[in-house]
Amino acid sequence: MVWTSQKALRRACEHRPRMPTTAYSLARMLSFGCEAVFAVAVLCNVALSGEDPPIAFGANVQAILKTHCTACHGQNVQEGGLNLTERDRLLAGGESGPAIVPGAPEASLLLQKILSGDMPPEDPKPTAGEIAVLRRWIADGALRTGERPEEVRLLFAQMHVSEAEIMSNIFSSYCITCHGKLRQEAGLDLRTRASMLKGGNSGPALVVDRPAESLVYQKILADEMPPKKNIFGDQQYVYRVQAGDIDRLKLWIELGAPEDEVSEPAFRRDEPQSVLSDTDTPHWAFQPIQQPAVPEADVSVKPLGAGASRNPVDAFLLQELGKRDLNFSAPADRMVLLRRAYFDLIGLPPSPDDVQAWLADDSVDALDRLIDRLLDSRHYGERWARHWLDVAGYSDTHGVIDRDELRRYMWRYRDYVIRSFNEDKPYDQFLLEQVAGDELVDWKSDTPLTAQQIDGLVATGFLRTAPDATDEGGFNKIVDRFAVVNEQLDIFSTAVMGITMECSRCHSHKFDPISQRDYYRFAAIFRSSMDPYDWRIPNEVLYPPRYDVPSEYQRYIRHPSDVLTPEVRRYNDRIDAKCATIEQQIEKAAAPFREQLREAGAEGTAEQQPAANATVADLAKQFPDFAKQTSRQRQQLSELRARRFDYMLIHGLKDLGGRSTPVHVLRRGDLRSPMERVQPGVPHALAASASPFKVTPPEHSTKTSGSRLALARWLTTPEHPLTARVMVNRIWMHHFGLPLVTTTGNFGHSGATPTHPELLDWLAAEFIRRDWSIKEMHRLIMRSSAWQQSSVADGRRHKQDPDNLLLSRFPFRRLDAEQIRDTVLQVSGQLDLTPFGPADEIQETAEGEVVSQASKDGYRRSIYLIQRRLKPETMLALFDAPAMVPNCLQRTRSTVAPQALQLFNSGFMRKAAAHFAEQVIQLCGHDQKKQVEHIYVTTLSRYPTSAEVQQATEALKNLTRLWQDADNAKQTVISDRDPQHQALTVFCHTIMNSPEFIYTD
Amino acid sequence: MAAASHAVSHMRRRGFFGRISDGLVGTAMASLLSDDLFADESTGQIPDLAASEPHFPPTARAVIQLFMTGGPSQVDLLDPKPALVQHEGELPRAFLDNVESVGAAGGLLPSPFRFAKHGDSGLEMSDVIPHMAEVADDTAVIRSMWTDSFNHESGIVQMHSGRTAKASPSMGSWIVYGLGSENQNLPAYVALDDPHKQILLGKTNWQSGWLPPIYQGTRLKSEGTPLLNLQPAQEFPNPVLELSRDLLERMSREHRHKRPGQPVLDARIASYELAARMQTTATEALDISQETAATQQLYGLDRDVTASYGRRCLMARRLVERGVRFVQIFMNVNPGPNPWDHHGDVKGGLIRSCEQTDQPVGALLRDLKRCGLLDQTLVVWGGEFGRLPLAQKAKRPGRDHGPGGFSVLLAGGGVKGGTTYGATDDFGYRAVENRVSVHDLHATILHCLGMDHLRLVHNHHGLDERLTGVEPASVVDGILA
Repeated sequence: MVWTSQKALRRACEHRPRMPTTAYSLARMLSFGCEAVFAVAVLCNVALSGEDPPIAFGANVQAILKTHCTACHGQNVQEGGLNLTERDRLLAGGESGPAIVPGAPEASLLLQKILSGDMPPEDPKPTAGEIAVLRRWIADGALRTGERPEEVRLLFAQMHVSEAEIMSNIFSSYCITCHGKLRQEAGLDLRTRASMLKGGNSGPALVVDRPAESLVYQKILADEMPPKKNIFGDQQYVYRVQAGDIDRLKLWIELGAPEDEVSEPAFRRDEPQSVLSDTDTPHWAFQPIQQPAVPEADVSVKPLGAGASRNPVDAFLLQELGKRDLNFSAPADRMVLLRRAYFDLIGLPPSPDDVQAWLADDSVDALDRLIDRLLDSRHYGERWARHWLDVAGYSDTHGVIDRDELRRYMWRYRDYVIRSFNEDKPYDQFLLEQVAGDELVDWKSDTPLTAQQIDGLVATGFLRTAPDATDEGGFNKIVDRFAVVNEQLDIFSTAVMGITMECSRCHSHKFDPISQRDYYRFAAIFRSSMDPYDWRIPNEVLYPPRYDVPSEYQRYIRHPSDVLTPEVRRYNDRIDAKCATIEQQIEKAAAPFREQLREAGAEGTAEQQPAANATVADLAKQFPDFAKQTSRQRQQLSELRARRFDYMLIHGLKDLGGRSTPVHVLRRGDLRSPMERVQPGVPHALAASASPFKVTPPEHSTKTSGSRLALARWLTTPEHPLTARVMVNRIWMHHFGLPLVTTTGNFGHSGATPTHPELLDWLAAEFIRRDWSIKEMHRLIMRSSAWQQSSVADGRRHKQDPDNLLLSRFPFRRLDAEQIRDTVLQVSGQLDLTPFGPADEIQETAEGEVVSQASKDGYRRSIYLIQRRLKPETMLALFDAPAMVPNCLQRTRSTVAPQALQLFNSGFMRKAAAHFAEQVIQLCGHDQKKQVEHIYVTTLSRYPTSAEVQQATEALKNLTRLWQDADNAKQTVISDRDPQHQALTVFCHTIMNSPEFIYTD
Repeated sequence: MAAASHAVSHMRRRGFFGRISDGLVGTAMASLLSDDLFADESTGQIPDLAASEPHFPPTARAVIQLFMTGGPSQVDLLDPKPALVQHEGELPRAFLDNVESVGAAGGLLPSPFRFAKHGDSGLEMSDVIPHMAEVADDTAVIRSMWTDSFNHESGIVQMHSGRTAKASPSMGSWIVYGLGSENQNLPAYVALDDPHKQILLGKTNWQSGWLPPIYQGTRLKSEGTPLLNLQPAQEFPNPVLELSRDLLERMSREHRHKRPGQPVLDARIASYELAARMQTTATEALDISQETAATQQLYGLDRDVTASYGRRCLMARRLVERGVRFVQIFMNVNPGPNPWDHHGDVKGGLIRSCEQTDQPVGALLRDLKRCGLLDQTLVVWGGEFGRLPLAQKAKRPGRDHGPGGFSVLLAGGGVKGGTTYGATDDFGYRAVENRVSVHDLHATILHCLGMDHLRLVHNHHGLDERLTGVEPASVVDGILA
């Protein structure tokens, strides 16, 4: 079998050559390149100060083009849609845009191509003299004989000024924040031509044909608008409309403010697939999933103890193994299975008690029950949420600017994921909530939300994980917002759909049937909630206080890091004021009873509470009269307090409803070059096989577009070809180290083909059949012989299955970063198992090591440690915890020297060893054999052999002696611990550095 | 290179488990270590740092990047613009398009420094960098650089990785991914920053992104212990340490013995050995006390103002001398976090920044030449962008960020000394002639190292990614010898 990534490598996307300008300079070019114009003006002053008459097209430009260009770009052949025989055709240009920009040689594609040497492709190349002529002709205004530069410019504008560009590059970019959907200052809405004609308090904003009477033009021209001051307290910087665009606005109005032709209607099923037209075989991953029949057990394959085919997973694997005359390896040792199951499911090793219990249980179904027990453990969610957070690109910080600013409420999403895994939330529901939780819930209604509904809102944090600095003025440019959206779409498509769409942003995908239009249709689904022109910064209070505090959220309340926004504070202040009044009334009523208490206290009754300290509740308990008198007020008070709002700020996404800015296909991904307009839709190639994507706004009082809801429903239909395949592939990967499709985020043409296509489809179908239950998949996989076989294999297996793609043995693996850190903490008795809530802090030492901080209860599991994109915890980063750029689909497992330095020399490990040693002494006293056994069971989940006991006790003896000698010789700082304890510490430290500690069989 | 790899295999036999490795088992282990190093069982690929052949004969085998965080002002250092004097105070409308703070924008501001021609080549530099001017004939200045980024963060990321939006692998990571290192006892890619201050974006500057983490830069500290956890805070007494290592070695060996066909376990043993060796090698490499007083003086180690940056320059020379492939030097100056970011008082700010760096940079070039290393070492001086020719209003005028046109200086391996390339417009606002993109600069650096930027690819999510991205990039031949 071919190692698939090699195949992927050969097939990989070779981007076609492009013109030597970035999207950015293309934008400049199309807008008359104000910089370019200026630069040229300067150059003209210098270079063309001689009074030479302007060059005209007919004179010698035409001849130069004829010599070098028109063979391919002429009347007969027009490569790239370009014809260079006439001046006007140069202005019109081809597929890549206009060939020349009058007055701006540097911005002219024609000259750029010649200067870069790309064109003409063959000799003769234009001479320096010829190039100079072309340059000057363009600089002079690209004139024909007798023309004036202004005339040519107008002509150029008629060809290239479009309504979409005017709307995108001027009104959407500079105006609609204050004159749009959310705000309409001066009664003015500048989102459409119609609303401009209607105008606002000062009358119509646009008068067709008359720029001089059009306020939109006049205000911009006079530099009155946009305002010179930054808005929203410097949250949003205000820039100037580019000089070229002001010109174009004038021209557009003069031309009659023409509307673009409506190009693309909604999705068409019969749309031609130009990209794939030459492909005969349909791509496997886009075909519907059909559950294949389970292969018959091959009798010629000799069963090997427990290696006999036990379940369908094995049958598929054995079929492939059989072809190579291979079989599973011997069943793994029971102790190995125990450790494997613990790390796989909860990410922690078994405790010595767990090991004891396991040894005592020799029933047939012991492993099945162990698996069930681990799946029921709350630590299961903490382990498997980590895998999901990797693909989601989870981070507690924005991760763009140096400050790496905190996402204060992001942890709620992390907790949601943990709870969802623990509850075994069906994967379709899990996706539904994350993709469209806000549209599922009528959160604007007055009915209090249930915990489940709140989860739906929190779940949308999944769509707000991309690096994002748009709450920092200098990074809140439209281009920055587009960057956030682009990365979020990238995360979404690779994580959920297993396809990479990023390439299609600039051009139709060379290998996948994802066209550029597909990309923008897909992006349009998100426009009503993430509109780069009408932006909502992250970390907003998305949901107003409208609901009771469900008890399971109590832990999140009143945490110091939950800083309340002014709105919430004002809301709370009102409640507090009312509470204070009622409290005064109660206190007044309480006065006589307190007096009674005080008197009793004076008499010295010991049990009596001091009157001043007695709470109202105490008083009510003690004095039935008081309770009765104040019952109504106390009731009121508790109701009021329950309405108090000091939690539930959500880092998520909400659909804003209403009319969003239109989405256009962007030429080469350049946001200043909008082309045809598109409606929300899903990639064509997928639309054909799954059920239709249909947008129906939900019928409740929270008005939303319904577009993400449609996406979520479309994704989670059982017919969807990718959703289940992508997820079972991931689950498989986390059990076996290797996925069935090695490119877990790319099931497209450029991705790998599955090593076991039938097994993948069988699992995917089974996943859906078992109600998308992830825990069921664990059971299925872990009960297989494949999962229960040994990792130690003979040479034949290594030779015939060198990369273990056939699973002729269980993969031998290093623990991942979180497993290592959590294990060190558990083993040394420093693990604080408190779940959930705001992330634990890290700090950087003077040496530059980023370390976590212990509370009095120790350190919590790594998933609760703050995940900073720009400042990761050193040990986790060293063991390949991902940097989230923007997400991580597969971790690497590196083996480098700094890891050795970390494990051998870091304060964290030395401290852990000392703690561990202390615990060992507490439990085992000074019985060295007991100590050694305890250390082995705790760290390696097995008992030591007698040789190991002997080796260890001898080492301990020698270490004690050496330490004693050192102390005597005062070679080192003498600590207050005795040599025996020191020796034990060294031994614990050594065993935590041993390979068996961080590798699993 | 043959000699270097011989040295490597020799080194592998000593170190962490040295006492044991002399014996029979040690020999067996040493031979195991010579192949399958750093196997990555999750992908089947075996990333390593062994020196590998470039695509074609290189003109440089190492790079020292002098990264001038903040955006040095080109019109005050390397790109003279006399027209600023005639047009002082004028404010062309087109210049305002991307000015962040419109209200603070002042008119065109002439440079407070005087430019002169230097050396045989007559390369023009201003009088605030006199030491660099003395070696002008060894340097080439690209005056027509441009970038997309207006902000430091995105600009820095773009200058290091070629892209703005994503945290992509840095150029140094790409280079060691392509070429490995000639010294397996030191990190292949070293970052030297100011040990007393944070630099902007920290390790993002030398990140490996989605390249395997072994290609990430290693921060070596120019004071104290060079590498994080190279020494424990509190060491065990020597005999205890030896016994502990002995025990660990035995455990590792037994564990390995029971698990045939797991080369990753050999890699792990090797990583412990390398870690132990680095205690000596890294410390020795950065030990500048081995240098003569004259050399130390050359770099300005005898003066407070130049000592910090000078140390790092001298260390960089020692590192490339020992086969390190890519060295980045970062700086930091008071006040503020950003040395070349002169929004206010561009004159005073430049004087201070240049005082600290000019002599060490000049010394580095001279010293490399003296050691015969300049021919093999490419030195790149520059920031993430330049500055506007406009004044930015302040108590004393400064300059705002200028991404449209700025200068980068190169020297050494393969560079044609005394060259200027490209030009900005009359005011130094925008590059207009022979524009050089960040991708072009990267392609050029790779070219000097003997690599074709189109062929240096890494398959990521099924796509062949490269440092120079999808935009066409071309080698700036005009500055190459």
